[in-house]
Amino acid sequence: MKYAYYPGCAAEAIMKEADETTRQVARILGIELIDMKNATCCGAGCLDEANLELSYVINARIFAIAESMGLNSIMTICSTCLQTMTKINQELQSDPELLERVNKVLRKTGTEYRGNVQMTHLLWVLVKDYGLDKVKKHVKRPLNMLNVAAFYGCHTLRPAEILGYEDPRNPKSLDLLIKALGGKTVDYRGKTRCCGFHTLLVNERASLKAGGKRLQEAKDKGADCMVTPCPLCDVSLDVYQSEAEKLYQKKTQLPVFNLSQLIALALGVDVSDLSFRKHLVSPKKIISAVIAAEG
Amino acid sequence: MVTHDLIIVGAGLAGMRAAIEAIKTPDLNVAIISKIHPVRSHSGAAQGGINAALGNAAEDSIESHTFDTIKGSDYLGDQDAIEIMCQDAPGDIYELERMGTIFSRDKNGRIAQRPFGGAAQPRACYAADRTGHAILHLLYEQLMKGGVMVYEEWHVIKLVVEDGTARGVVAINLLSGKLHRIRAKAVIFATGGYGRVFHNSTNAHANTGDGMALAYRAGAPLMDMEFVQFHPTTLKSTGILISEAARGEGGYLLNSEGERFMKKYAPNALELASRDVVSRSEQSEIEEGRGIDGCVHLDIRHLGRDKILKLLPQIRDLSITFEGVDPIDEPIPIRPGAHYSMGGIKASVDGMTSIKGFFAAGECACVSVHGANRLGGNSLLEAVVFGRRVGAAAAKFAEEAELADWSESALKDAAAEIASLLNRIEGEPYPKIRQDLQKMMIQYVGVYRDREKLETARVKVSELKARYENVSIQDLGDVFNTDLLGALEVGNLLDLAEAIVEGALNREESRGAHSRTDFTERDDENWMKHTMAYKAEEGVKLDYSNVTKTKYEPTIRKY
Amino acid sequence: MRKKILIRRFDPETVDESFLQAFNVDLPQNATILDALIKIKEEQDGTISFRKSCRSAICGSCAVTVNGVAVLACNSQFKSISWVEGDVIIEPLGNLPVLKDLIVRFYPFWHEVEKTMPWLEPKEEIGEKENIVSAEDVAIIDESANCIMCGCCFGDCTIRETDDNFMGPAALAKAWRFVGDTRDAIKTERLELLSKACNAWDCTRCNLCIDRCPKGVRPLDQIVRIRQEAMKAGIKDNKGARHALAFQSDIKNHGKLNETTMPLKTVGIIRSLGMIPMALRMQMKGKVPFPIQKDIEGIKEVKKIYKIMEVDE
Ligand SMILES: Cc1cc2nc3c(=O)[nH]c(=O)nc-3n(C[C@H](O)[C@H](O)[C@H](O)COP(=O)(O)OP(=O)(O)OC[C@H]3O[C@@H](n4cnc5c(N)ncnc54)[C@H](O)[C@@H]3O)c2cc1C
Ligand code: SF4
Ligand code: SF4
Ligand code: FES
Repeated sequence: MKYAYYPGCAAEAIMKEADETTRQVARILGIELIDMKNATCCGAGCLDEANLELSYVINARIFAIAESMGLNSIMTICSTCLQTMTKINQELQSDPELLERVNKVLRKTGTEYRGNVQMTHLLWVLVKDYGLDKVKKHVKRPLNMLNVAAFYGCHTLRPAEILGYEDPRNPKSLDLLIKALGGKTVDYRGKTRCCGFHTLLVNERASLKAGGKRLQEAKDKGADCMVTPCPLCDVSLDVYQSEAEKLYQKKTQLPVFNLSQLIALALGVDVSDLSFRKHLVSPKKIISAVIAAEG
Repeated sequence: MVTHDLIIVGAGLAGMRAAIEAIKTPDLNVAIISKIHPVRSHSGAAQGGINAALGNAAEDSIESHTFDTIKGSDYLGDQDAIEIMCQDAPGDIYELERMGTIFSRDKNGRIAQRPFGGAAQPRACYAADRTGHAILHLLYEQLMKGGVMVYEEWHVIKLVVEDGTARGVVAINLLSGKLHRIRAKAVIFATGGYGRVFHNSTNAHANTGDGMALAYRAGAPLMDMEFVQFHPTTLKSTGILISEAARGEGGYLLNSEGERFMKKYAPNALELASRDVVSRSEQSEIEEGRGIDGCVHLDIRHLGRDKILKLLPQIRDLSITFEGVDPIDEPIPIRPGAHYSMGGIKASVDGMTSIKGFFAAGECACVSVHGANRLGGNSLLEAVVFGRRVGAAAAKFAEEAELADWSESALKDAAAEIASLLNRIEGEPYPKIRQDLQKMMIQYVGVYRDREKLETARVKVSELKARYENVSIQDLGDVFNTDLLGALEVGNLLDLAEAIVEGALNREESRGAHSRTDFTERDDENWMKHTMAYKAEEGVKLDYSNVTKTKYEPTIRKY
Repeated sequence: MRKKILIRRFDPETVDESFLQAFNVDLPQNATILDALIKIKEEQDGTISFRKSCRSAICGSCAVTVNGVAVLACNSQFKSISWVEGDVIIEPLGNLPVLKDLIVRFYPFWHEVEKTMPWLEPKEEIGEKENIVSAEDVAIIDESANCIMCGCCFGDCTIRETDDNFMGPAALAKAWRFVGDTRDAIKTERLELLSKACNAWDCTRCNLCIDRCPKGVRPLDQIVRIRQEAMKAGIKDNKGARHALAFQSDIKNHGKLNETTMPLKTVGIIRSLGMIPMALRMQMKGKVPFPIQKDIEGIKEVKKIYKIMEVDE
């Protein structure tokens, strides 16, 4: 199994731990990730608002990089990259005129997109391509003790006709993964709702309240921690959790893991390599519980 | 007490169009009252189109539109009124477009037009298959723009008439449950149809003919109530309408043998014959054993996926959602269902009724432009043309009239009626009465009628009325008492059913939508006249009036 | 089929708090949520209150929340509510004050719609006939014209839940219906209004409105169209536009986002100062990357693309 690997900007900077642990997980499971050295930011749905045509070209260039590496599948670990790139890719693939227009520009920079690339996400790779049964076999530290709230976020689910992986009103993949890692899952309202990230810089208060609400909803249903498939959700839910607590004047202190961190923990990666100290809401108790259970 | 110069009850196409016209009169204080929010009005459900001889799709003329309408009406329509409607139609459509209606366009960027049953030319202007929706929302936009006062979710329960003049209405504010006196110099009713008298119906739950019943009780005659249009294509399980556009675009009607049976009944127009003709043909096929499970099939598969998705998207959605059938792959099971009320409050071409200061427009009025059978695409048109005309006429009336005060007694009476309903501890719940009425009406006063059926219906209506004397409800609260409204609406349906049955029983001929198996021919000598039903102590009192003829002589109606 | 249904009851005249009440009903196979509500009201409890009219998904009366998802009761068959496992729970639409049982007050919804000047301001009078508009020009506003104002999108909108001043998806979709209408005379004025705080740029792109809309309006797509048109019209002096432009310039200059300077570019220096305590805490956790980032290797090609496409900033 081999993928062109596109972590996305957040996982390369503020949420570096997501990238680091993804690499560890891939190594253990034997999934080959090839770096896309030249790739730019996908524009995160913002570039196309500033300049739609430019965003087609910029993304086509990224897809062309994968093609030039001889790969037809790009794996990202960011939901927003997934959604942005899937959408643009579908438009390019279904509209030959558009593709030709875009390629006219790209050719002048010495490249071209032939339309043969598909987008995917670590979560889908594990559930669909790799298989949860196989993941299970690698579990060294089952998460027995934990009630984990799966937070799917928006951009792995919606719009369904573009992403099309699972029922956006009743998704299962992340819950199944948690179970495969030996954890227990929590059913709560916020599971398929939004962390508010994308308006953090425009309407900060509304954004923080959205994230805070999701945390409360999970906490009220007995969650010990939350896991997300997206570094942007991590930012909203972990980094800004204390700000949301201030707005609501209500403590949640719910540790939030990136998907790859939680998997790495279960796969037995050395705890010091999981960057847990970078969390703003400390997951110490959770980690100790898991390790204690391991014996 | 609230006071306005002009109040308009009803916020469908007719009511809102009237309001937009009326506010053009400077300083006139106009308000709309509607039991549901304006955009929830049933006009929004109209799918297929609105007629006007624009001639965009093929050579057309006002003359031709007029003739088709008169012929469609089976010569019961008043020809002067029809001439006015067809004459005004193009101007009104252009005006709607310029106000912002999103019509579908032809390749020249003009308003697109499609063929409709009973029309010689493709004359129905449309907005995909949501024509009513497009115009309804447009008019509400204009209402907001004009800042018209809207009493939304206020349910009118009484038309107040004193000294032969309309003084206002009594209404319940659903939000608070309070009764209000609303005083005005002129009142327009634009309260829509009474499709819910019947069990199989394309009409919304709200279409209970309230305005007609209130006017009837206040002394205005109801005209031609026995003429109820049965639409040939309504979904088997719910009665939801599949627009005539499906046939306009080329759909077939098939019986259990897969035969296009309309060949037998209307060899030229086939599926696009007039609605009454098609409904009767279907009913005959079903009754003669060539139906499929009480239905026939509407087949549009041959139009192909692309055309269906582009031109009939809503029809496809409705079939999938409400019948579980994707018309791209399967024929749609359909049957006739009550659809349109040709009859209504007798009104002039300016909406004037027999009560001074009281006007009527739209489906609740009978002008009469549809006579014994309405053509598809003509009732949205009626609502728009006469909405405008009546808005102007009522505004003019209100401008010149004096505001009269009226006694508290009307309010007290209404309050007492409601209190007696709320205080009745033991009684029969209204839903059962309504259901029994609806089933009875479709069975005995449906597509085919005869003396025996109608006499049975007469007895049954009076039984139901007796039961209604003892009706009761469970919700005794003030706020948003939908139970109370449900019961009041059944009272309206009963009064209207009575007028329908009496008119039908007396009219010993077959004309348009009124089809008697014991009098199968049209009888111009004795029955080319309008029925007037008056409310009397002992029930209904019938009277008749002449049909206005200009230059079109009745001929045999054949398609 | 026999169904157990829980309905959220609230009567302002008798109780202070809402509660769930259970009903069991026998229903035909194809029954909808509305069929069930009507059956319960007519046969078991006449006091249950809900709105309904057309029963064919066109009047927009009957929106409710079914197990956390805003739907039209009349077009939701029991067999199609795939997200429900176990009992069906019917509650009022979200984000609007409840009046009684399943009936909410719609005023706040309409208030937002009215803010958008939702009517055509025609250009100067043309002749006596219709405006000539191409089918393609109609197609651009076609989706938005499908809206039945049912409020399903509004009831589940993320930002409306946390900010009462946010216009919400339906109003914005309606706004696009006029921005995109070639017959309208005040496009720029509209775009300026929509670019103000709490309007088009505040949406967090959660896509819930697209998922919830029963009529294919795709409100978020229309919001994005508004943003794009506003940018084209040069209305860029607001946080949302600056945020989008920051992406455009970061990609050109570094290939990647510069997360440390992004807030500065979006919210401006003053507001960024307010974020300093937060930034410090992140710094302490080793979260904040070095402000001067390494550019990607192929940055030259990227700059060339900008040049070829004549992207001006
Ligand atoms: C499914 C369907 C499809 C149709 N398709 C077409 C078509 O394609 N072309 C065509 O020409 N015609 C069509 N028709 C017919 C046409 O839609 C109607 O005749 C027309 O819309 C009636 O408009 P209106 O304004 O008179 O009434 P409505 O739109 O029914 O409005 C009635 C108004 O009265 C108010 N009201 C009623 N009672 C009260 C009360 N007691 N107190 C306060 N307010 C009250 C209601 O709230 C509502 O606002 C169709 C009809 C149906 C049912
Ligand atoms: S995408 Fe925007 S408008 Fe739509 S529901 Fe989410 S926040 Fe609301
Ligand atoms: S956009 Fe869709 S969900 Fe929102 S109000 Fe309109 S029809 Fe309803
Ligand atoms: S009842 Fe009209 S939309 Fe559901």
